[in-house]
Amino acid sequence: MNASAWQMLLEGAWTTVWISGISIALGVVAGLIIALIRIAKIPVVDQILVLYTSLARATPLVTLTLFIFLSAPTFGINLDRNVAGILALTLNTTAFNAEIWRSAFRNFSRDQREAAMAAGMTPWITFRRIMLPQMVITSLPGLINEMSFLIKGSPAIAVIGIVDLTRVTNRISAVTYEPLPPILVACVLYMAVIGCLVWLQRIAERQANRLAV
Amino acid sequence: MPDANPSTAGHRENDRSGATAVAIRNLSKSFDDVEVLRDVNLEVKKGDVVTILGSSGSGKSTLLRCINWLEQPERGSIHIAGERIGMTDEGRAMSVKALARVRAKTGMVFQGFNLWPHLNVLHNVTEAPIHVLGKSKHEAETHARALLEKVGMSHKMDAYPNTLSGGQKQRVAIARALAMQPEVMLFDEPTSALDPELVGEVLAVIKDLSAEGYTMVIVTHEMAFSRAVSDQVVFLEKGLIIEKADPETFFTNPSTERVRKFLERND
Repeated sequence: MNASAWQMLLEGAWTTVWISGISIALGVVAGLIIALIRIAKIPVVDQILVLYTSLARATPLVTLTLFIFLSAPTFGINLDRNVAGILALTLNTTAFNAEIWRSAFRNFSRDQREAAMAAGMTPWITFRRIMLPQMVITSLPGLINEMSFLIKGSPAIAVIGIVDLTRVTNRISAVTYEPLPPILVACVLYMAVIGCLVWLQRIAERQANRLAV
Repeated sequence: MPDANPSTAGHRENDRSGATAVAIRNLSKSFDDVEVLRDVNLEVKKGDVVTILGSSGSGKSTLLRCINWLEQPERGSIHIAGERIGMTDEGRAMSVKALARVRAKTGMVFQGFNLWPHLNVLHNVTEAPIHVLGKSKHEAETHARALLEKVGMSHKMDAYPNTLSGGQKQRVAIARALAMQPEVMLFDEPTSALDPELVGEVLAVIKDLSAEGYTMVIVTHEMAFSRAVSDQVVFLEKGLIIEKADPETFFTNPSTERVRKFLERND
């Protein structure tokens, strides 16, 4: 592999990281919002979200990506392929994150909530000051798990022409006729990114232990 | 009898003897078809200590939890320092915000401590004063330090709840409730979850508070303690108050056979 192959690989890695990163950030926040709306049990809205969750969880990422990219023009929207990729990844991961947040909320200690209410906290203050900080810590292992699934599923966005870390190995071997070296490097780069997440997860779990009263 | 001496009860400058801290009128409550409270009437004067006794299932914890609306009674009314809790004067359910504001006039100590594990001892005590009463961080912390000193926990200010013993947790919980400068302190079996050797340190703190003129309603199984701190002892049986007396009368010469039996068994 020559210098330009290395550069292509790093560019591919960067594409994977930034597109996944934005999707993860959006997905974690959107998941929380959806979880809270579902806990409020608003009629109709709740049913729509249940439908969304089951659809998003049942659809393969490649199919979802293609569907979003190809259907956008029908609605008169000219979707940039990166935006379509981010949208597909976000829609997918949000559904899983919403379930993680929802279970953290449902399992939250009733005793602690009563202590907050007894101290005159409104439900909003109770959520923001007492529940959310602990929900973040207890959900983090699950959320990080979902993040690494998203990164490992991200090559799906290559289907609409985004040159991510996996796709770029194809391009390199098309020129060099040596498929093995670039794919090996790609594996190592994926492992490095996932390794960072695993490391974060370990810290999160240590934090969570402190909450076990 | 601990009178509300203004020099010792500095937390309540406008204390007038005879004023009512809690007024419970015709309170009834059922869980499914079981009546747990039946037409309960009780008045707690400012500066008084009322202990509620009764066997388990008599409704005493439910009565206490109605006072700050953690349980909602079906009938009757509760006033905290003259203000009705839970319902508006027109009989409608209070808004969430209004309810929280009245609840802030009560402080509650739970059987299971219910500290917030993500906050250290100091912040457990300052959390509600800052975010409910709107105190400044500095003001809340100064007050919290004094209260933690009072309950003998100032050496554990930076510790997290999971590193404390049960007795220590409960003393922090007492400081947390006091920090709201409540009109009335509610104790729900504060020593029932403690190892026997830790009960004393918690009871000693509550005794100190009674000597300082705090208004308290205490659900307990500790007879000697009840006798020592109470101005009024209430005995609950199947949701009914069947005896209400000063501690001397209650423990030496109760008027009902039921209480006499209860006291014999708990001797």
